[in-house]
Amino acid sequence: MKLSRHTKVAAALAGAASVALLASACSSDGGGTDEAASDEPITLTITTFGTFGYDDLYEQYMDENPNITIEATNIDTGGNARTDAFTKIAAGSGLSDIVAIEEGWLGSIMEVSDTFVDLRDFGIEDRSGDWVDWKYAQATDADGRVIGYGTDIGPEGLCYNGVLFEEAGLPSDRAEVAELIDGDWEHFFDVGRDYQEATGKAWYDHSGFVWNAMVNQLDEGYYTADGELNVEGNAELQERFELLGAATEDGLSAAQAAWDWNGGKSFVDGTFATFVCPGWMLGVVQGNTEAGGGDASTGWDFADVFPGGAANWGGAFLAVPETSENQAAAAALADWLTQPEQQVAQFEAAGTFPSTVAAQDELAANPTPNEFFNDAPVGEILAGRSVGVVAQFKGPDDSVIQENVFGPPLQKLDRGEVSTQEAWDEAIVLLDELVG
Amino acid sequence: MTSTLTPPTGTGSDGDDSRPPRASRLTWRQRISIFDVKASPYAYVAPFFLLFGLVGLFPLAYTFWVSLFDWDLLKGQGDFVGMENFWAILNDRFFWNSIRNTISIFLLSAIPQLAMALLLAYLLDQGLRAKTFWRMSILLPYVVTPVAVAIIFSSVFNEADGLVNNLLNLIGIPDQQWKHDTFLSHIAIASMVNWRWTGYNTLILLAAMQAVPRDLYESAAIDGAGAARRFFSVTIPSIRPTLIFVVITATIGGLQIFTEPRLFDVSNAGGIGGADRQFQTTVLFMWELAFFRRDFGEASAVAWLLFLLIVAFGLVNFLLSRRVATGDARGGRRAARRAARKGADA
Repeated sequence: MKLSRHTKVAAALAGAASVALLASACSSDGGGTDEAASDEPITLTITTFGTFGYDDLYEQYMDENPNITIEATNIDTGGNARTDAFTKIAAGSGLSDIVAIEEGWLGSIMEVSDTFVDLRDFGIEDRSGDWVDWKYAQATDADGRVIGYGTDIGPEGLCYNGVLFEEAGLPSDRAEVAELIDGDWEHFFDVGRDYQEATGKAWYDHSGFVWNAMVNQLDEGYYTADGELNVEGNAELQERFELLGAATEDGLSAAQAAWDWNGGKSFVDGTFATFVCPGWMLGVVQGNTEAGGGDASTGWDFADVFPGGAANWGGAFLAVPETSENQAAAAALADWLTQPEQQVAQFEAAGTFPSTVAAQDELAANPTPNEFFNDAPVGEILAGRSVGVVAQFKGPDDSVIQENVFGPPLQKLDRGEVSTQEAWDEAIVLLDELVG
Repeated sequence: MTSTLTPPTGTGSDGDDSRPPRASRLTWRQRISIFDVKASPYAYVAPFFLLFGLVGLFPLAYTFWVSLFDWDLLKGQGDFVGMENFWAILNDRFFWNSIRNTISIFLLSAIPQLAMALLLAYLLDQGLRAKTFWRMSILLPYVVTPVAVAIIFSSVFNEADGLVNNLLNLIGIPDQQWKHDTFLSHIAIASMVNWRWTGYNTLILLAAMQAVPRDLYESAAIDGAGAARRFFSVTIPSIRPTLIFVVITATIGGLQIFTEPRLFDVSNAGGIGGADRQFQTTVLFMWELAFFRRDFGEASAVAWLLFLLIVAFGLVNFLLSRRVATGDARGGRRAARRAARKGADA
């Protein structure tokens, strides 16, 4: 008994030492992981969500590191990943060695940031310059601990259906569309009104996503930068809500059920003509169009423009929980996955836009056409869209406010059951009941 | 060993008759034997009670403990607040909304389900050809997991292009709002519950019916009772205890509906039971509180209130079904009891 405990400790020490070697090797040449690693077989678990585009990278990593086996779980949506992570944090066990955290609920995680290891112990500080500065800052808690390797960010461009635009007599070339849409939200909705008048069809899929985009674009969203609730009496927010409400009342919303879109068919049958697209949403658009029986000829395209200017929605981080038994190996994998080179590969697989400067530059310098989006150079476009993005402070209940407070009234507004004013009032009541 | 006694059999006999006749001076070994006889049965049933204490009683008590605190899902235990969580819940319109939805869905599922199960069991009891085939097919939906059922039915009741709306369109009825209209959504969810549980209840009732002595039917028939009369005056009273069992389990299950409403429409905050909480059941409300709004204290209070509600409902049901099913066929009682035991084993 005693002996085995000793050997265990010794093994742990040896492991830590070899990993320290590994980590220093990593930081010196910025990538190599094959030196000095212990050959002890290690199984690493990782939980991601949505379309993360990591599958090929796992294979590559396992080929390069024969002693590592990666067991990956992918959860369908960020919302379900949130429930999964929260439940396991509450239970005190069950988190995988690497957990992907979405920006939207990072605020809640930050309240218990000590659940996750301080990645400065694994050399993340040497890489801090890799990321756009606000991404690194978002992953840093109040005590200066850094708990996440940034994966992607969500600069927003506009997905539009060129075929539908043409039918409505609007320009369909992506440069012309960018010119047409360029302006504020009011202008965006006005173009939508023209479209609706010409075709009788909706302009965007549902208000919820547009609202997310409008809120995320503000310097301060549901919370002020110092963490105070910032909804009631927030004139800027209410003004945007009224703009969206007026547009919806004019029939610009297709009142779709998010994450369903009638099984993807609504992307194919011309139900709506535009879609707010952060980088990671491109994979969602493509996946749903294909699920609905469409393909590149359906007409989806991606324009270098966004109403109201630069905006960011979403993006994720890879964190290593304190409960992980292979913290060092997990951190090494998370580190590798978020290197510029891998971020470019991830972008190619899933459209998630890199958070590291080098990877962004690479995408900007080597525009590759995306076949599905009418050969749009989406990487180059997103690189342009990421200029001027400011990180917005996400409070502890940000995702609850987004989903449970504004979600239901907006859906009723979409369905014409309430007026804009009633929807706003209901949101305020819900806010008070659910968060206040 | 000569003094080793045969252990008591599982029939519940206390083994009195195997006690050694000499009571005067007992050897140490004999004492142990007696102790064995007396204590062993408790040891045999102990695992259940230990397990029940561990996974039943302890969580119940601990939930009550949690309900007395401000308890954040992530941050854990906070300040002691006494009964405040309970008052907050009792004043929460969403709680009462969830209670209404739960009861409505429960009634819409339990009543047709039991009526249907009784009828099917009666038909299956009529000496059909290929009995096993019919019985197995009736149980088949029960094998499918609730999650799969919910996902399939969610697509069947899809408002835009779902099977149900398409069929309705065929006969000239316009699309119905299955996921937005309160009553329609309750019907949709009840149909999932019915689809899955009718077969299960049918088989239990069938087992009970098969234990009803055939001569009762014969003599009733000779006395001139028709099929309906035989069903209500012989079958129903004879299977009363089983019926009570089925009603109570259906009540407990019906008041705890979660998976079906959770997955029926996931486009609202990942599935909180509709944009306007049209079909948010109490368990789903509790889930939203605990894992979405992170208020474990209030969620625990809901858990306790729901527990009390189910106990109350169970009692009412017990009394009601006892009254309803009491017939004049006293002779069938023992058979019924036997049937119940058989039914419970099924």
